[in-house]
Amino acid sequence: MAILGEPIKEVLKLKNYINGEWVESKGELYDVMNPATGKVLAKAPLSTKEEVNAAVEAAKEAFPDWRRTTPLARSRCLFRLKELLEENFEELSRVQTVEHGKTIDESRGETRRGVEMCEVSSGIPSLMMGYNLEDIATGIDEYVIYQPLGVFCCIAPFNFPFMVPMWFWPFAVATGNTFVVKPSPRDPISQVKIAELCDEAGFPPGVINVVLGGAEAAITLVDHPDMKGVTFVGTTKIGKDIYTRAAAGGKRAIIQTSASNFLLVMPDCNVEATIPALMTSFFGNTGQRCLSGQQLVIVGGDKFYNEFVDAVVNTAANMKVGYGMDERTQMGPMQRADAKRKVLQVIENGIKEGAKLRLDGRKLNVMGDYPHACFLNPSIFEDVTPDMSLVTEEIFGPVMNIMRAKDLNEAIEVANGNRFGNANSIFTSNGKNAREFQYRIETGNVGINIGIAAPMAFFPFGGMKDSFFGVLHGQGRDAIRFFTESKVAIQRWP
Amino acid sequence: MKINTASQAISLGTNLEDKSGDFYRALAQRYPQSKELFLSLAQENSKNVTKVKRAYYGVISDALEGCFSFSGLNTDDYSIETDLPEGTGYSDALRMAVVIEEKIIKFYLDGAEKSKALMADVPRAFLLVAKKRRERIPKLESLLEEG
Repeated sequence: MAILGEPIKEVLKLKNYINGEWVESKGELYDVMNPATGKVLAKAPLSTKEEVNAAVEAAKEAFPDWRRTTPLARSRCLFRLKELLEENFEELSRVQTVEHGKTIDESRGETRRGVEMCEVSSGIPSLMMGYNLEDIATGIDEYVIYQPLGVFCCIAPFNFPFMVPMWFWPFAVATGNTFVVKPSPRDPISQVKIAELCDEAGFPPGVINVVLGGAEAAITLVDHPDMKGVTFVGTTKIGKDIYTRAAAGGKRAIIQTSASNFLLVMPDCNVEATIPALMTSFFGNTGQRCLSGQQLVIVGGDKFYNEFVDAVVNTAANMKVGYGMDERTQMGPMQRADAKRKVLQVIENGIKEGAKLRLDGRKLNVMGDYPHACFLNPSIFEDVTPDMSLVTEEIFGPVMNIMRAKDLNEAIEVANGNRFGNANSIFTSNGKNAREFQYRIETGNVGINIGIAAPMAFFPFGGMKDSFFGVLHGQGRDAIRFFTESKVAIQRWP
Repeated sequence: MKINTASQAISLGTNLEDKSGDFYRALAQRYPQSKELFLSLAQENSKNVTKVKRAYYGVISDALEGCFSFSGLNTDDYSIETDLPEGTGYSDALRMAVVIEEKIIKFYLDGAEKSKALMADVPRAFLLVAKKRRERIPKLESLLEEG
């Protein structure tokens, strides 16, 4: 029980994975850093436009053969990949911790989620079945066939470097499409590791490609005429731009964007179980996830409010902040220094707007001897109102905004007044309250006594309002529909 | 040291299983009259590790409260003495084994209680292992009576 072994012993030089080959980029190299230790983990390229185009070309060329590969054979590749992911589970998890900063428990949780995507998409022979009806008129039958479309891509965020691309690409390739992943430039190593395992699993060249890079690579992918659809997870500002570009090119899009989530606490909640769930929601992944709680809305009288807030503040103040490879750590650093600076600015703004800073996470208390460039402790504001920038903008850091509501109705109205609609939760032991919340709340993912309402691989990952652009969602049956075209056939044999 | 995270709890459980496994292997060497039982207990320890790790790695999720599931446990409450001094008699060694078992059972029961609302299948695996280990005590005690 101590500090776990580092998974990366020497500085890696990352390459693109195109057409089944590891290809050195001609693009400019930059350092991928461990946010906790400040050590350089890898040199990664900002791939050129030509290199991105080569990846799309490889995927396009691989498509005709791959779509003719039987669904059963395609699923066997995914089965083999699943086995390899399990064999390398711990190493993959540790890579996430060193390149992102999250705790080892969080990284293992992320790896498990990724593996689950692989498992679910392995069921493609059943999932991809169409439907039919005999005798729509005498002697005439009609049926629906689901067919793949071609090349898709994922423009991935930094906050879940392993899992997020796997919300999409296993479903895409299982249905017979080919794929290009562009990981976040901040933490691209996990996707390179996955590509190594895909290679070993026996996916044919060009079916899965990984190109490393930044905004230029992303735009090249989205605008490429051979790209049939785009998946993106990131901010609303960039997401809207990508959605517009995709729509202009007649492409499909799943665009999952920013959030400012509300967690409602009713006075009848199970306090003992609620507080750890809140800690996980607000401060897990150092607040850097679209499902994180941002506002804690407490319903009830002064006595309940004061006791509950004291317990929350006390628990947050005692959280162990440190290096994610230290098993004691409950919250790791921010992923990079400028993200920390942004949160510091958010805190300043909150104070200026009149919120009361009850717990000041700027006062650092970090376990171990690590540079403080990316670390923050949890912050908690009270007296927060819906119009403050603390609420209207996504924070993406370890900050909790506490608000009060006189009853459930007021709490729901406050949450629904927010422009985002990603994941809101209620904590209650009253079924009627829970149902009312589920019925009225305007959010894509609903939690009832769950702090992080993260859908499993066999359900779609929801999102509404300014948190989602598109029609079909990632994961589950939605993903199958997104990555396939439905062809309707009618036949008669006179 | 206080335990907060699931990873810490799993590591502590693994460590207890490994240490007590080494202890039983040492007993098997030193007291051949009960070699078979001691070796089977050591072997069972390895299975316990697999069982607990399988549960943990199978259900750990970024959505669950992995970093808060075991708050309140303290490693000091479960430290076990496994050094077998030269000349330790058979009965004393068996008494040590019973104490070790009781400590480890307590760890699994406390861990299951702490994490029952938060960690899905992990507390169930803990309870299963505690049950298995509880079955050892009468066996060890009967050896004590015979000895």
